[in-house]
Amino acid sequence: MSTRPPTLREKRRYILARIEPAGTLLEQKELYYAISDAVTSLWGDATTAIITPAVVALESGHVVIRCRRGTERELAIALSTVIACRDVPICLRIIAASGTIESLRSRFHPEKILKSKIETEKTATWADDGIEPVLPECSFAKKSFIIVQCNGQKVDVIEKGFKNTNRLFLTKDDLENLNATTISDRI
Amino acid sequence: MKITDAAVYPYPLGDASVRRLALEAAALGFDSIVAADTPSVTYGEVEVRSGLMIRDVPIKDVISAVKRSKDSGKVISVNAANNNFNRAVIGIKGVHILRGIQSADKLAFDHVAAKMAADNRVAVDIDLSPIIMGRSAARQRAIHRYMDILVLEQRFEFPITLSTHARSLLDMRNVRDIAGLCSLIGMDVPDVERALAGVGTVLTPPKQAVTVIA
Repeated sequence: MSTRPPTLREKRRYILARIEPAGTLLEQKELYYAISDAVTSLWGDATTAIITPAVVALESGHVVIRCRRGTERELAIALSTVIACRDVPICLRIIAASGTIESLRSRFHPEKILKSKIETEKTATWADDGIEPVLPECSFAKKSFIIVQCNGQKVDVIEKGFKNTNRLFLTKDDLENLNATTISDRI
Repeated sequence: MKITDAAVYPYPLGDASVRRLALEAAALGFDSIVAADTPSVTYGEVEVRSGLMIRDVPIKDVISAVKRSKDSGKVISVNAANNNFNRAVIGIKGVHILRGIQSADKLAFDHVAAKMAADNRVAVDIDLSPIIMGRSAARQRAIHRYMDILVLEQRFEFPITLSTHARSLLDMRNVRDIAGLCSLIGMDVPDVERALAGVGTVLTPPKQAVTVIA
């Protein structure tokens, strides 16, 4: 079957969104189901068929979602109602909309991705050496926490132990016994 | 005009510290937030207003709680209940916001209460969390109730506030998302702007209609 010429193809738009909290591991298919569920729940089947949402890329904490041209607003509203992906609480923060995926890729900050890749490789090297990477600890409200994500002033922590594994969102100023200069920007 | 999220719940009620909520609010385009059980402070560009949320108490206790918090600079809000309770709450001097109207019964906020709210400058809060997190019947009911409130608002012009009731950082939405969600209940951009400035409106004393020059 031959492909349609460009003038006969339906026009599409791509929306770039950041996945929060940072560092959440998701599968493209699961995220598609979460988005599709949110769109269908808000707009109904008929409008969802017109929007035709699809997850076309999921990389480095960002997702590119495709829709039909002219339905970006509806999709954006529906995306703000995405609250979880397979019981993992998430939130999608829309960054930009464009007619091509390539123009959105330039907004991913390639140098940051490269930096995080290098750090991931470093961590993997430690693991290869048999040394487990030790996550920094901190205390807040007289409880001990493990830092799972640190970016600038923002620090995400999880309480030590196995009882409570919910993430807490703090800042460096909130932490009680931590020398802020010892935390690298990416863990 | 300050763009304000009229209710957020920092740690221990939620999972984010008030500093982090303020940081996030700044990134999302807010100038101020009303945080429950938190002293008023300013972090960076965001002003954190102290909020007192009164709920599930008889009117006597509401009056005494409002009296205690008088002149403390807190944003005092009371959860809506039945019609008589709501009218009584709106009549109390010092109450700023009537919230949770979507959970109250159908006749809880009528045209008389709307007129009283307009006269006493008591805002009605539109809680976006049922629209964001609710699904099917719960969301439909909330949208219907808010549309009904907006009909009264257009007639009587009482203040409206918008809140996400965020207990987590992930529950907060940016100003553009809020405008989009409000379009579901028939609010256009000027309406949303006015509603986001609603907390400032109820906290500033009203201008006198007639100024006497000696």
